[in-house]
Amino acid sequence: MFAAALLSACEPPQPPHLQQGTLLPSAKPVADFNLIDDKGESFTLKDLQGRWTFAFFGYTHCPDVCPTSLSMLAKVMARLRQEENLPSLPRGLFVSVDPARDTPATLANYVKYFDADFVGVTGKSQQLHTLTRQLGILYAKSGGDSADDYLIDHSAAIILFDPRGRFYALFNVPHDPDKIASDFMLIRNYYEASE
Amino acid sequence: MRFLLALLALTTGMVSADGGLAVQNAWIREAPPGASMMAAYLTIDNGSDQDNALVGVSSPTFPRIMMHRSETVDGIARMQHVERIALPAHGSVELAPGGYHLMMATPDPQPVAGERVALTLHFADGGEQQVMAPVKKKP
Ligand SMILES: [Cu+2]
Repeated sequence: MFAAALLSACEPPQPPHLQQGTLLPSAKPVADFNLIDDKGESFTLKDLQGRWTFAFFGYTHCPDVCPTSLSMLAKVMARLRQEENLPSLPRGLFVSVDPARDTPATLANYVKYFDADFVGVTGKSQQLHTLTRQLGILYAKSGGDSADDYLIDHSAAIILFDPRGRFYALFNVPHDPDKIASDFMLIRNYYEASE
Repeated sequence: MRFLLALLALTTGMVSADGGLAVQNAWIREAPPGASMMAAYLTIDNGSDQDNALVGVSSPTFPRIMMHRSETVDGIARMQHVERIALPAHGSVELAPGGYHLMMATPDPQPVAGERVALTLHFADGGEQQVMAPVKKKP
C-alpha cells in the first residue's frame, strides 16, 4: 500500500489523451525573434513568457479563413474565461505574415474586433521567418492582379506556447473551440504536474 | 398562409423562378473595422434538369465581386480565384466559410451588421437572381 503510493508519487505524469491537439514529444525551446506588436512596440521571445499563448498565422486581407479561425479562437477564450481553475487566461496572438500591408494600426483594429485581449504582431520578413521556421509554419504569396493585390497561402494550425515560451503543442484543422478548450485544460494540468 | 409563404420567400431570398434555381441563406460577414476585404456566403439549389453554373455576382454596394475557393490541404490554407461554380442538375452547392465564397473589397462606408445588401447572381444560362444578403457579425 505504502509502496504503491510511493511509486505513483514518483511516476512521471502520463501525457493526456487529446481530442484535437498534438503535444510535442518534448517542449521545444524557441530561439529569440524580434517582431512588432499592434501598439508598434517590439515583441520578442520574452513577451511569450509568463503566460500560455495560442498563436495563429494569417493576414488581414484574408476575409474567409482568418476571420473564421479568429472567431473560433475567441470562442476558446470565452470557454476558458469560465474555467474556475485557471488563474490566468492564455494570450491570443495573431501573427500577420503580410508585413507589407498589415501595419500595427491595421492589426490592432483587426484582432481587437474578435477579442479585446488578442494581440497582433508582425515584423520584417526575416524576423517572421526566424519564428515561423521553428514552428513548421509555412506561408507564401500566391496569385493576385498587381503588386499589392495578392493572396497568401499559409499554415492553418494553431500553435500553443507554454509559459516558458516553448513550442508545446499544436492544433491542426478542423478546429473545434470546445475540444481545444478542454484539450488546453488537460495540457495545462499535465504541464503543472510535470514541471 | 400564402401571404406568409411569400413573405418568407422574400425575407430568406428563396426565389425559385428562374429555371428551378433557389438561392438561400445569403449573408455577408461583417468585417473588422478597417479590414480591406469582406466575404459573402449563400446556398444555391438547382432543382432543374439542366446543369448550370454561377458565373458572376454583382452589387451596387461592391464594385467588384470575385468568386473564390478556400481549401486547406496538408495543413496549408489557400484561396483561389474561380471563374465559375458548377451547379449540377438536382444538386445543391453551398458557399460557406472555409470553402467557396464571394470576396470583395470593403466599400466606404463599411457595411455593418444589421444592414442588408443586394447581390445579383449571374448564371451560365443567362439567368439572373437578386437576393438581399444581411450583414452578420459572425457565423
Ligand atoms: Cu477569398
